[in-house]
Amino acid sequence: MTEEALKNIYLKDFHKKNDAKFVPFAGYDMPINYKKGIINEHLHVRNHTGIFDVSHMGQILIPFNEENILALETYIPLNIKKIISNKCHYSFILNSNGGIVDDIMISKIKFDNNEFLYIVYNSSRKQILNKIFNATISNFKIFEDRCLIAIQGPESFSSINSILNLPASMNFLNIQILQYDDSDLFISRSGYTGEDGFEISISNNKAEKLISDILNNNNVILCGLGCRDSLRVEAGLSLYGNEINEDINPIQAGLSWALDKNRLQDQNLNGSEILSKELSSIPSVKKIGLSPINKIMLRNQMTIHNNNKEEIGFITSGCYSPILKKSIGIGYINKLSNISEKKYVNVRDKYEEIKLEKIPFVKKNYKKGD
Amino acid sequence: MGEKKYTEEHEWVQLSGDIATVGITNHAQESLGDIVFVDLPTLGKVVKAKEELCVIESVKAASDIYSPIDGEVTEINDNLSNDASIVNQDAENEGWIFKIKVSNPDQYNTLMSLDQYLEFLDK
Repeated sequence: MTEEALKNIYLKDFHKKNDAKFVPFAGYDMPINYKKGIINEHLHVRNHTGIFDVSHMGQILIPFNEENILALETYIPLNIKKIISNKCHYSFILNSNGGIVDDIMISKIKFDNNEFLYIVYNSSRKQILNKIFNATISNFKIFEDRCLIAIQGPESFSSINSILNLPASMNFLNIQILQYDDSDLFISRSGYTGEDGFEISISNNKAEKLISDILNNNNVILCGLGCRDSLRVEAGLSLYGNEINEDINPIQAGLSWALDKNRLQDQNLNGSEILSKELSSIPSVKKIGLSPINKIMLRNQMTIHNNNKEEIGFITSGCYSPILKKSIGIGYINKLSNISEKKYVNVRDKYEEIKLEKIPFVKKNYKKGD
Repeated sequence: MGEKKYTEEHEWVQLSGDIATVGITNHAQESLGDIVFVDLPTLGKVVKAKEELCVIESVKAASDIYSPIDGEVTEINDNLSNDASIVNQDAENEGWIFKIKVSNPDQYNTLMSLDQYLEFLDK
């Protein structure tokens, strides 16, 4: 395999000027952290607010018409026809076995007097998804000219309200189109940290100005993907390539809440038969949260063992939790394994005892409607 | 106390009599990022130069620490088990990791001087 050149996000120079450290992630050279470091950035998001540039993610605008809806409903397990305007839904692109090709945020918005579906998808899945979109839907626009900026933390609302004048009705998973500096921005109350926050899609040439405006709040700092990962693990959220992939379906991954159950009766939906069967039986794997007894780090791909040291599962995400001040992890174990039996992880060929933890590890702090 | 010497694995070594104090360099702690645990070596362990001796866990990754020199581990920095971030704060002093009773002092002279290490980093 030839190594493909890393792509740059539009604001790379801006991040460089702000002392970002970069790592390759999903084909892009991405800020992993800034001067303060991952742990301080993590705590800042939990206690105040941070800005993340997640412009590596895919964004697509699809005309809301019958042909497109029909095509999308063959692989998205939602009733797209009846989707409510201005509300974001967490959903999936499914393969023919019901496996997860990607997890997405999808919403219906009115733009230039027409209705569109707006989907945000993973950068690591861009190639595959763009191929699927090209083969199945028409007249869509994949945004290469827009950044995606996430503002996350308990002070998110106050730090952007003075700049954007947010509608009072804007609760968790609501999406609006607002004006900023003569350009349209798509803003949703969402994110992937477990905190209140917003994701803003904005024209490339306005993004730096918006970020600088928000950074004028003393309580807001730039944050990298390093803490975005530990924040989403603490919040128990799945990451494509870790908890979910083509070989695991939403039910096995503990995400059946995101499926429209009526759609599972629809033969036209990829994997509907397998998924409805899986829903009425015990899933073959169990998702668990875990932490070690000793001071060790849990890492992705470590194996989980029972009392007899037999392998019963593996870790999909492991990290250090700055809030709990210990390592935490998410993993899968065989459905038949005894929950109350002692469990271990293999850390460099030593068996270290672990205990089960509730997911999420920290309380989510979303701004739900009253 | 002798002059500080450096390894290509980004460790520093300082010899006092036949006891070498070892830690990771400031450059190493910077590139590791936030250090959360140090899995300290066992006292009395006899090692050869370049053998894996312990592990530093940062938020990003686990990194092996190698013994820079032949000898026996005589002391470990227990403060690091309570607060591994000392290595971030003061890698080349308070953040020392272990001490080794050196069995082959000639090896010390083959390690890099500060100037050589800085040159090595520039490569």
